[in-house]
Amino acid sequence: MTNAVRGRPRWGAVARKTGGHLVRGLVMVWVVATISFVIIREIPGNPVLGQYESLIQKGMSPEQAERATAVLYGFLPTGSLWQQYLGYMGSLLHLDLGRSLSTPGVEVTTLIGSAARWTVLPVLAGTLLSFLLGVTMGVYAAIKRSGKLGDMLALSGSLLHGVPVYVIGLLLTAIFATLWPILPSGGPVDVEFVPGLNPGYLGSLLQHAVLPVVTYTLASYGGWILAMKSNVVAVLGDDFILAAELRGLKRGIVFRYLARNAILPLFTILALSIGMLFGGSIFIEEIFNYPGLGLLLVNSITSRDYALMGGTFLVITIGIVVANIVADLLYTAIDPRVRSGGAA
Amino acid sequence: MTPTTVTAPGVRIRDLTVVYKTPAGELPAVSGVNLSLEPGTITGVVGESGSGKSTLALSLLNAVQPPGRIAAGSVEIDGLGDVLTLGGEDLRRARGRQVGYVFQAAQNSLNPLKTIGKQLLDLGRSHDVEDLRGLVRDAKELLARMGMDGARVLDSHQHELSGGMRQRVGIMLALVLNAKVVVLDEPTTALDMITQATILRIIREVHDERSLTTLVITHDVGAIAEVADSLAVMYGGRVVEHGEVTEVLGAPRHPYTQGLIRAIPRLSGDISEARALPGRPPTLGTLPAAGCVFRERCERRMAVCETDEPIPVFRDGRTVACHAVDHPLALVKRKEFA
Repeated sequence: MTNAVRGRPRWGAVARKTGGHLVRGLVMVWVVATISFVIIREIPGNPVLGQYESLIQKGMSPEQAERATAVLYGFLPTGSLWQQYLGYMGSLLHLDLGRSLSTPGVEVTTLIGSAARWTVLPVLAGTLLSFLLGVTMGVYAAIKRSGKLGDMLALSGSLLHGVPVYVIGLLLTAIFATLWPILPSGGPVDVEFVPGLNPGYLGSLLQHAVLPVVTYTLASYGGWILAMKSNVVAVLGDDFILAAELRGLKRGIVFRYLARNAILPLFTILALSIGMLFGGSIFIEEIFNYPGLGLLLVNSITSRDYALMGGTFLVITIGIVVANIVADLLYTAIDPRVRSGGAA
Repeated sequence: MTPTTVTAPGVRIRDLTVVYKTPAGELPAVSGVNLSLEPGTITGVVGESGSGKSTLALSLLNAVQPPGRIAAGSVEIDGLGDVLTLGGEDLRRARGRQVGYVFQAAQNSLNPLKTIGKQLLDLGRSHDVEDLRGLVRDAKELLARMGMDGARVLDSHQHELSGGMRQRVGIMLALVLNAKVVVLDEPTTALDMITQATILRIIREVHDERSLTTLVITHDVGAIAEVADSLAVMYGGRVVEHGEVTEVLGAPRHPYTQGLIRAIPRLSGDISEARALPGRPPTLGTLPAAGCVFRERCERRMAVCETDEPIPVFRDGRTVACHAVDHPLALVKRKEFA
């Protein structure tokens, strides 16, 4: 009966947990890097060897061709699989992902870096906006679930959740860029402005971001509102809410009890979807011609740019692995039941 | 602790009917219940699941949850008036401040994300307690009174406390604002025997110290025998027998009470001596529309039981609602009882 422990976080345990996560995360990244190495090496037609051989046919000496190919792919095209693998891993440790084929000579890391900028803005803004909107509306949908407003909100969630993101995107483009042209239909920014912190450039940036952000928000809003609604309904049925009311707690306090308990599971999903944003949103970037990571991945696949493909995969993996760790640590910080490591 | 010179309030439940909305229409979970809680006493209410006892308990705080609705009756509490006419802020202030409510132990009546201390402060702020330090001091004293380290408990989250500890925290939260009427819904369910005995002893002691008027809801006849002064037996949403606890248990008059007591296995003697009541308790949908609600399971069923609902009759300190219980003709017509 007196097996209770203090309600304080045990930071030693948290540090150990974080360490464990980091080790597991590194293993994950290593596994994905290995798989993408093997795939690139083993695809029919072997682009690495193909490149090497075509360079020799162009009259290069084997040594030159080897070096040129190594520069392209970040690992040696000849030698045993093991030697190539070790070479690839070695350059990975130096954060060298090789050079792009489709944009000759440019390092993959540079390409990914510049694409990431264009992904983070619309996807992050869209994720956060849809989260805030969906969660707020979800609470109303749950509280008013026996009324018209609740029905409407839940319906809006199901509807938007069901419509594919490219349909929403195309619809919005058709309306706001074609029928009633108040917004640009594509591209990240107008070229006439000088990049920098000047009002013209920033204004154009925002103007171009509106449609992608709104599309992304509408596409993910449905999931949030439905999840939040069902969480709130579940917590409403919990005894501590009725108990709080029977103790005469103020409505605002009861509401906070309700909201905090209902939103808790959503934080994990939020952290994960922020991790996913490094995958970009292929449809949105394609529709709005936004040069983000999703578009980069698609282009690397269509142009058989294997170094770029491998690099993009790796970045997506790292994003998700890191998001997983963050989600777990976040949970430790906000849920006391997880914090003290005991079963509830 | 705050000196308790105020005498315990009495509670009078009159003609209380609570209905639940179902696809088959509104069905009564509690129908026409009359029950008085004498000031300063512990009244036990026993009954099977679905007998309406929890609904009755919630009515004392005008807190019947939808799809339920209080259709008729009144719940008069001294110093507060008819609770059923209260609403909004008046009702909220009465809850916790004047009427304390303790939930089942196994259920979680505490916010899992906040420490007990923070929830105590939420309670204080909700009831405009100005001296929050005093409130914490009172809470610690109450917890110590119940055999716990107050400071440590206030610093804990719900999941760090055992069932018995949670239950005592629930009692503390119901009493810390000095409520004089306390309702305990299944206070010992899902606790082990030793903890049950401890909680019952605490209920009795705190009740006496603070001169409360207490209502204990349970399905455990053994538990109620130890703690209550008077006992009401509920069946099918009606109080079928009510009287002093030793008398009701020692010489039950209503056939249902008799069956209920026969069903308890004795510590000494063969377990087969305990005989289960035949049949099953009625649900909202299977309650007969006319006549006695218990007749289907009654061994003393008569013709009149099919047509007329027995009227509760008060005699020799006991109220019984049964046609088969012999009572003087002069009293048959008496509808009211004390």
